[in-house]
Amino acid sequence: MITAYVMVKGNSGDADRIRSAIEAVEGVESAHIVAGDVDFIAKVVVDTPAAVKDVTATRIQGLEGVADTRTYIAME
Amino acid sequence: MRFVIIGSGRVGVRTARVLREEGHEATLVERDGDLTRRARADGFTVVRGDGSREGVLEEAGIESADGLGALTDDLNVNFTACLIGRHHGCRTVMRIDEEHREEIYRKYATEVDDVVHPERLGAMAAKNALLGGSIRAIADVAGGLQLVELTVTESAPVKGYTMGELELPADARLLAFGKADDELGLPTPDESVAVGDRLVVLAEFPALEDVRRLLIGEMPTRAVAGGERR
Repeated sequence: MITAYVMVKGNSGDADRIRSAIEAVEGVESAHIVAGDVDFIAKVVVDTPAAVKDVTATRIQGLEGVADTRTYIAME
Repeated sequence: MRFVIIGSGRVGVRTARVLREEGHEATLVERDGDLTRRARADGFTVVRGDGSREGVLEEAGIESADGLGALTDDLNVNFTACLIGRHHGCRTVMRIDEEHREEIYRKYATEVDDVVHPERLGAMAAKNALLGGSIRAIADVAGGLQLVELTVTESAPVKGYTMGELELPADARLLAFGKADDELGLPTPDESVAVGDRLVVLAEFPALEDVRRLLIGEMPTRAVAGGERR
């Protein structure tokens, strides 16, 4: 299993909807609205490194209201 | 009143200066050496350090402050400073950096009493100046809803009519009316509209253009001399 933390920057104020949309992506375990220079942090748990890329680059980045993502893969 | 201002960059120092001019006391907190020196040379009390650290804020007198303005360009510092300020019973104001975050912080950051977005306020002022003084945006009340003050011009179609005869677009409401040299008040139906009178209208963005055309007329080719100054 691979765990990754995804920092998500939004470009729209309807944070509730975006958070729900992120959480609805398969492989996303949880998503929170956070204060600071990113707007959400999502925890992703998937089987392979390739799946991390699919969840973040394709699925999360494709959501309306998401401007950018940055992914950190947990080593331990 | 006593205030602690985090960040002595352009926004922080100007805020401290305005507070000082109005007889309040402001202590600045600044991480950067150059900015600290510059603010001190300007006569401000500056505590050098990280505004997201409680010890630094205590040194700046957070315990006895009435309000905290977290005005750096670092959102993490600003938000943490507000958390600490709230813990000490301060009113907290946080500077944000992007449009969409205004709504997010207003809704979710219960520790933050108010948010300011200097760039957007600057853009509003620039727009008012460009439009030549006959329309002035007061505030964005909500997404898509704006409060504006319009000054009736010589070419305004509404000139000579009374308040009661005034028909605004459906997505707009007249909130206040003031004769040229008088204060704004609640509009009454018998008052007539003359050049220089001011109307405060709450309108949806798409209706603003119609409101402007009705109350001001076509865009003046030249800005009204003197413009709006307050």
